[in-house]
Amino acid sequence: MHRAIEARGLVKRYVTWERRGLFRRRRRSVEALRGVSFSTRWGEVFGLLGPNGAGKTTTVKILSTLLLPDEGGARVAGYDVVSEAVMVRDSIGVVLSVERGFFWKLTGRENLRYFGMLRGLRGGELEERVSRVLRLVGLEELGAADKLYEEYSLGMKARLALARALLHDPRVLILDEPTLGLDPVSARRIRELVVRLAHEEQRAVLITTHNMFEAEMICDRVAIIDEGVIKAIGSPEELKAKIAHSVPIVIRFRGDRGPGEAEKALRAGLEVLGLSVKPVEDGYVARILVRSGEDEEVLARAIAVLAKLGFSIRSVEVSKPSLEDVFVALTTREKSGA
Amino acid sequence: MGLDAAMPSSFLDVVAAEFYAYTRFYKNNRAMMIAAFIWPYLMVLILLGLGYLFGSLSQYAARMGVRNPVFFIVSASTVAMSSTFIIDEVANYTLYNRWNGTLPYILLTPMRLPKQLLAASIPSTLVSPAISVTSALPVAIYFEGLRGAIIIAALYTVIVLGMVPLAGLSVLIAGLVLTVREETNIANSITPFLLLVSGVFYPVTILPKALQLIAVAVPVKYVVDIARAIASTGTFSHEVFLAVYVLTLMAFAYNSLVAPLLGAIEERVKRYAPF
Ligand SMILES: Nc1ncnc2c1ncn2[C@@H]1O[C@H](COP(=O)(O)OP(=O)(O)OP(=O)(O)O)[C@@H](O)[C@H]1O
Ligand SMILES: [Mg+2]
Repeated sequence: MHRAIEARGLVKRYVTWERRGLFRRRRRSVEALRGVSFSTRWGEVFGLLGPNGAGKTTTVKILSTLLLPDEGGARVAGYDVVSEAVMVRDSIGVVLSVERGFFWKLTGRENLRYFGMLRGLRGGELEERVSRVLRLVGLEELGAADKLYEEYSLGMKARLALARALLHDPRVLILDEPTLGLDPVSARRIRELVVRLAHEEQRAVLITTHNMFEAEMICDRVAIIDEGVIKAIGSPEELKAKIAHSVPIVIRFRGDRGPGEAEKALRAGLEVLGLSVKPVEDGYVARILVRSGEDEEVLARAIAVLAKLGFSIRSVEVSKPSLEDVFVALTTREKSGA
Repeated sequence: MGLDAAMPSSFLDVVAAEFYAYTRFYKNNRAMMIAAFIWPYLMVLILLGLGYLFGSLSQYAARMGVRNPVFFIVSASTVAMSSTFIIDEVANYTLYNRWNGTLPYILLTPMRLPKQLLAASIPSTLVSPAISVTSALPVAIYFEGLRGAIIIAALYTVIVLGMVPLAGLSVLIAGLVLTVREETNIANSITPFLLLVSGVFYPVTILPKALQLIAVAVPVKYVVDIARAIASTGTFSHEVFLAVYVLTLMAFAYNSLVAPLLGAIEERVKRYAPF
């Protein structure tokens, strides 16, 4: 079967006019996307990660048929986003911003009825679907379904936004920062729902986020985008493995012998990428850099070496390379080097 | 939940949705509803005041050639203002929804943009003049009795008819409004111009030649002609039927002239996606 989402070489330039004086204006072109390609599968949560201004929202708007690309193209649910836009819209549920996008003087339920009617739902089917999505996102249990939107908290607004995206039962969900600014309870509810919609109901989910913790938790695969270019694509594990060549092991210990002796013994007994032992207030700290995958073996040997010299181990920490490390490494390297 | 997608929306789905949102908005905001019924009276007071300012009512009646000046001012100004509603409503619809953040979600409706904007503007385009006309009803009945009520109903029909030739133009303007960077509503400068050449406050014949020529091509003029004909004779003369005929021709002519531009407008909106 065709891919859920397929983007091929997307290029988008925004033209802006810079005022210089009362009548003079200068044309400026911002290259938001510079050849973005990726594809996502059915039943998968795909994360698009990138810093502010990377081009995430621009990508989302093109895939949602709201914005035309200047070059390249994309297919969503098998339809072309330019020539078959109406069919694409029929297949997607979209969240663009969690804090607005509804009528303030209508209740959550009334808002959903309106958007459902726009999509051709009516009568009993409309009522049934509206109630179902209100329950699904937990607005019913919060007693907020029949409150005016202007009385909603941010968490309720985000839930309503997701409810609207699900209203017409779309096969593809495109969510631009759906948990931005939410408290842990609301964010978790949305994450759990998103994962369930993908894994259990075989929908395709594209989610953008800054939150690396979140991306690692729910995304099956991620793409890291920066300055309009995809820097890396893969599962969070693959990306971490690709970037993080080393794993830091931190051992705090205490003893009668000096730090020089400890370092010498460790270097002699282990094969490491880097090593340092430094005194701290109540003993010493050894930082040992090892190849990822060798950390457990190295740790066991290091403890043995130190114990042999009569040191007592106070704490041990193997910091796992997080997606955050990958993200920071990929998106800041060039800029800080320049 | 199954994986079957719903069918793309129809014109009537959009009309129904907008009508629903519109009525719910007023239901949840009683004060807004009351204001909607009161403001035409404020307008009438202002217009009457202006009428006295520029001379007595009888002078005005003589100049306009109408039998009942008060009734004429009330009905003609209601009619003239309402006949341009469609332009304001479509433009304001897009501006309001952009400001409110609802526009992108509305544009995600599986339908072509011009068709959707047109459908979306229909409820307010029908209801706004209905409110104005309804609030003119007491005045009409006071001066003309049952005949007044019938005239008001006829005027409402004519207002709606007068808006049809402007439908395509309205969508065009709404699209332009969306793609200009500055938050200007082009409609705000177009409707006063249309009112100027409509001949509602003075006969078209006193306008400069160039404006008179433009007036002939503007639907609002015929709507006002009808209002004047009804208000001066109190009957539906052949003049009324002639104006209705012209409006119908204009509806076909203007909308088929504008239609080829609507695709370009949709493309332009999607190039900027200004929301
Ligand atoms: N309508 C617009 N007109 C001009 N430039 C724009 C417009 N929208 C976005 N841009 C520019 O395009 C680039 C990409 O913006 P985009 O909104 O896609 O980034 P993003 O990854 O979503 O960022 P964020 O994390 O802040 O939401 C930025 O440089 C932005 O300034
Ligand atoms: Mg964004």
